[in-house]
Amino acid sequence: MSVLLDVQGLQTRFRVRKGYVYAVNGVSFSLEEGETLGVVGESGCGKSVTMLSLVRLLPPAASIENGQVLLRGEDLLQLDLRQLRDVRGGQIGMIFQDPMTSLNPFINIGTQMSEPLIYHRGMSKREALARSAELLEMVGIPDGEARLREYPHQFSGGMRQRVMIAMSMSCEPAVLVADEPTTALDVTIQAQIVELVKELRDRSGVAVIWITHDLSVVAGIADRVIVMYAGYIVEEAPVDALFEDPRHPYTVGLMGALPSLGGETGNRLTTIGGSPPDLQDLPDYCPFHSRCPYAIDRCRTENPILEPVTDASDRGHRAACWVDIREVEVQSNGAGASS
Amino acid sequence: MTTQELTAGSEVDIVEASRTNLWKDAVARLVANKLAVIGIIPIVLLFFIALFGPYLTPYDFLAQDFTARLAAPSSEHWLGTDELGRDVLSRILYGARTAVSVGLVSTAISLIVGLIMGSLAGYLGGRVDFMVVWLTDVTRSMPALLLAIVINLTLKTPLEAWMEEMYLATKNGFFRQTMWVDLVLVFGALALIQWPGYARLIRGQILSIRSRNYVLAARALGMPTGRILTRYVIPNAMGPLIVAVSAGLGGAMVLESAFSFLGVGVQLPIPSWGKMISDGLRMYRTHPHLLAGPAVMMAAITVSFAWLGDGLNDALNPRQWGG
Repeated sequence: MSVLLDVQGLQTRFRVRKGYVYAVNGVSFSLEEGETLGVVGESGCGKSVTMLSLVRLLPPAASIENGQVLLRGEDLLQLDLRQLRDVRGGQIGMIFQDPMTSLNPFINIGTQMSEPLIYHRGMSKREALARSAELLEMVGIPDGEARLREYPHQFSGGMRQRVMIAMSMSCEPAVLVADEPTTALDVTIQAQIVELVKELRDRSGVAVIWITHDLSVVAGIADRVIVMYAGYIVEEAPVDALFEDPRHPYTVGLMGALPSLGGETGNRLTTIGGSPPDLQDLPDYCPFHSRCPYAIDRCRTENPILEPVTDASDRGHRAACWVDIREVEVQSNGAGASS
Repeated sequence: MTTQELTAGSEVDIVEASRTNLWKDAVARLVANKLAVIGIIPIVLLFFIALFGPYLTPYDFLAQDFTARLAAPSSEHWLGTDELGRDVLSRILYGARTAVSVGLVSTAISLIVGLIMGSLAGYLGGRVDFMVVWLTDVTRSMPALLLAIVINLTLKTPLEAWMEEMYLATKNGFFRQTMWVDLVLVFGALALIQWPGYARLIRGQILSIRSRNYVLAARALGMPTGRILTRYVIPNAMGPLIVAVSAGLGGAMVLESAFSFLGVGVQLPIPSWGKMISDGLRMYRTHPHLLAGPAVMMAAITVSFAWLGDGLNDALNPRQWGG
């Protein structure tokens, strides 16, 4: 498989009243053709900002300070706005968290769906509408042709997310970025949406970047996972390796906080003590050290780099930690977090 | 799967499933609102008499009949005559023209200024935004009537002098009609008072709509900025704007009457309801018909615009569309 999207050293920051908020701090990852990449991390860790940076859909206060976003070798950060618009929707499709507000209440579904087709594909209105009806059926909305005339408020949340997926897939993008598309939906609908994306991916071969803070969703859909913390990638691994052999203390903490069905009962769920660092005043050492039960002296002086872990089952398994956590005994969870 | 979806979706979807078009929807809502419909009738009538009023009466609004001064309503003069023997009905009908033209023109001017300033502030943000907001604050902090009086008193004389000079220089008859000075001053003062409201509304609308998810989604689909503006931002900003304009029209007419009442409005021979009310007030004990006619018209129009504005607000408020 060949590399489709290659992100190198991406840095994005937000201008605020006093200085900057450093949201993304040198993130590098790659995505292969047809691959599904899960991106996990808690709120505010830079997942969404990273993905919005790919196509420069950032709010005005944000600026990309550094890095490269190579899509099939072309740096998206160097494109002018006109070229970038062709990439948005045409090469990289996006779906967002809240389907209730992601559709324009004033335009009917058909018109809304046909706009990108007319714009990117040069279709006539008639062709675009016909294609939109097909797309609706494809995402599991029956009687697509009749529903084209309806307005967003006539669709339920799950249906709207299906429409959003249909729109973002309409121009057959190479990458689909799904930014927590199931978070605002209830659990049964969540499962349906995950299944739908899987099905579309398998049918069309689109590569998917699935952003979530829900590890169980990632386990179900991703081939590979990156874990983000405070704007850094702290661990990156194939999905099985990550769940079987997590190497970053933060990943371990996330797993400990995940309830399991069918496992032994009576195990307490653990929490990660403390709170994430202030992104306005990031330390130049490990940003996780104050919450980390494994922290050693070096963690307070040097920021670890993301490098391949020792004895990895997979060459792609990398973590940013000075400690080999398998060798350390931890007395109680959150020992370092009491500070 | 779909039946599951439907049951999982909110009831609102099923209730509203029969609706097809949001604008039709809004019209249906408006028509269902009795007060709004009642309000529309006098407003339509007002615009009608503003257009055709002067042709409907046998009297000229300026014609003085000294044999019939201060006549009570009769079959000849339905609403009586005033001190100078002018037909009150004719003057009221012609006054509608003043009210409507002042309302329309000043609302148009303030809307255009407000649109430009508000969109600049909303889009450019930063220093421009700060300046615009500051300007609106300063303007709004001054009492509207006082501001109008100051403008009228300070600008009227120099403007008239300037027009006189222009007439002498160009010999163009246009500059002789000092009636325009008053109108320009009234339009200007009203626009000056009203633009900050529109500017703030539009700025707020743009700021809020620009950060809506559907705008982000449209950008993520590669839609060009112009299209996002015309298809996404403007239609969604229309509702509150329509409501504000309807209320603003009524407000401008009332303000114009207030100016005339205070003697800073349109120039004398042109009938203005406010001026008629102020004249009528002096002898309302002996000749109540002089006050009653214009006052009732004024009240009816004010209430009608308020009802229509309320109805429009209910019909166009997105919070009532259910999701």
